[in-house]
Amino acid sequence: MNLGALLPSAIDGLLLGFVYGLAAMGLTLIFGVTRVVNLAHGQMIAMGMFVVLAVASGAGLNPYVGVLLAAVVGLAAGVVIYVVAVDRVINAPELTTLLATFAVNLIIIGTATTLLTTSPRAVDVDMGALRSGGVTVLGTHLVAVVIAVAAAGALYAFLFRTRLGKSIRAVAADRAAAELMGINSRRMLALAFGLGTALAMTAGALLATLFSFNVLSGGTYETKSFVIVVLGGLGNPTGALIGGLIIGLLEGVTAVVIPVSWVPVIEYAVFVLILLVRPRGLLGSRQ
Amino acid sequence: MSSLTVRGLEAGYGGVPVLWGLDVDLLDGALTTLVGSNGSGKTTFLRSVMGLIRPWRGSVVLDGLDVTRLSAHEKADLGLVLVPEGRQLFTTMTVLENLEMGATVRRARPLMRATMDEVFAMFPRLAERRGQQALTLSGGEQQMLAIARGLMAKPKILLLDEPSLGLSPRVTMEMFTAIRALRRAGLTIVLVEQNVQLSLAIADHAYVLAHGRVELSGPAREVRELPAVRAAYLGAAE
Repeated sequence: MNLGALLPSAIDGLLLGFVYGLAAMGLTLIFGVTRVVNLAHGQMIAMGMFVVLAVASGAGLNPYVGVLLAAVVGLAAGVVIYVVAVDRVINAPELTTLLATFAVNLIIIGTATTLLTTSPRAVDVDMGALRSGGVTVLGTHLVAVVIAVAAAGALYAFLFRTRLGKSIRAVAADRAAAELMGINSRRMLALAFGLGTALAMTAGALLATLFSFNVLSGGTYETKSFVIVVLGGLGNPTGALIGGLIIGLLEGVTAVVIPVSWVPVIEYAVFVLILLVRPRGLLGSRQ
Repeated sequence: MSSLTVRGLEAGYGGVPVLWGLDVDLLDGALTTLVGSNGSGKTTFLRSVMGLIRPWRGSVVLDGLDVTRLSAHEKADLGLVLVPEGRQLFTTMTVLENLEMGATVRRARPLMRATMDEVFAMFPRLAERRGQQALTLSGGEQQMLAIARGLMAKPKILLLDEPSLGLSPRVTMEMFTAIRALRRAGLTIVLVEQNVQLSLAIADHAYVLAHGRVELSGPAREVRELPAVRAAYLGAAE
């Protein structure tokens, strides 16, 4: 055990937590508005990574252009997934929507594995480093935090300041009542799915600037998103961001104390514990 | 002019019929009430007219246009607005946001500020609580907000489902006074109520539903005097 490594690792974990939180916000937004648990979430995170790869290694552009592009592609992809796979079963029981998004997940995994193979990839991004005392923080991590916070802030501004955003919240609160007020609820559900997917792909794009990855990397992050979403309270975006920080910090600290391979075990233990003790999450959403 | 003509409306839930072919005509500018005991099909009627549940058979014609198959938001756009039973407010949003969402349809959006002033004049308590979450309002205030939100849509025809549900007698009277004022302002209104006495007292025209059928209909003042209605709904001694 190396206590001298504890602080830097904790800081690293906390910074990473912002990106985890961003991904989880996407999952929780989709659930909060559409009541669909999106099992294609992890795969969309992975697709965000490959957008950055294509932009940086393929087109030779700045990787952060890829992050922006991932958000745009995510919005469009989410709307398409909703229209093609989810809309027709939106009023069906939960198991049906779960299976619909699981099918989407398998289709994307299969297609991506065939086209892109599962070989490891990496995008080389150098944003320098910040050193203070014994602690070194990579520039890429700081940039990722800034972008994650900006994306979360933009989402909040959209949901609370614009008519379209408020309409999404109205559909989340009471879909039938929203319809009665003239809101095209299916359009709002599609938009929410698009926004959630945009967040997932943005988070994936940011992760690609930090770590190596492959086509199947989404699974790990999907697991984290689920733990975070439950931690923060289902359907609660603020809770997701805070939950992300908690999981990031936990990961940073435990990685120093015990072997890294135990981290998922700890995360799942937290997951089960939360479900047992506070099934509505630490922040406990109202409904 | 706004008119609504319902012919042979049949609807139900999961294969179980609730409405057995209803014919209802609304008069322009009149207050029409639908009364009947629990389970007589009043709420199902409103929900299938709006398209929240899909009618099995029959037609709904609004101002000469067949709207039977349109979805609820399309009907709202055409001026048919339902204030649902149990209020169904956007509870996590503020009073102001609820009203803003009420003014979604094209016709109502440019008039939002002016309409908001009107509903605040009608329900001053909502103006005082404009920044509060709808969840924190009292039952009476919530019902006021539900009606106000419906009015924000600038309805041609306003459908009210059980506006006095769960309210104290005093607040119920306030609510009926407000509905009467809307009627006097020329709005075409459908009022579904369990409080038969009060609704027959303020309505122009009345339908009595039983077991998913129209049992009888006529001018409210005549329906009110029928011995069968008095015995069944108004607690008159036999």
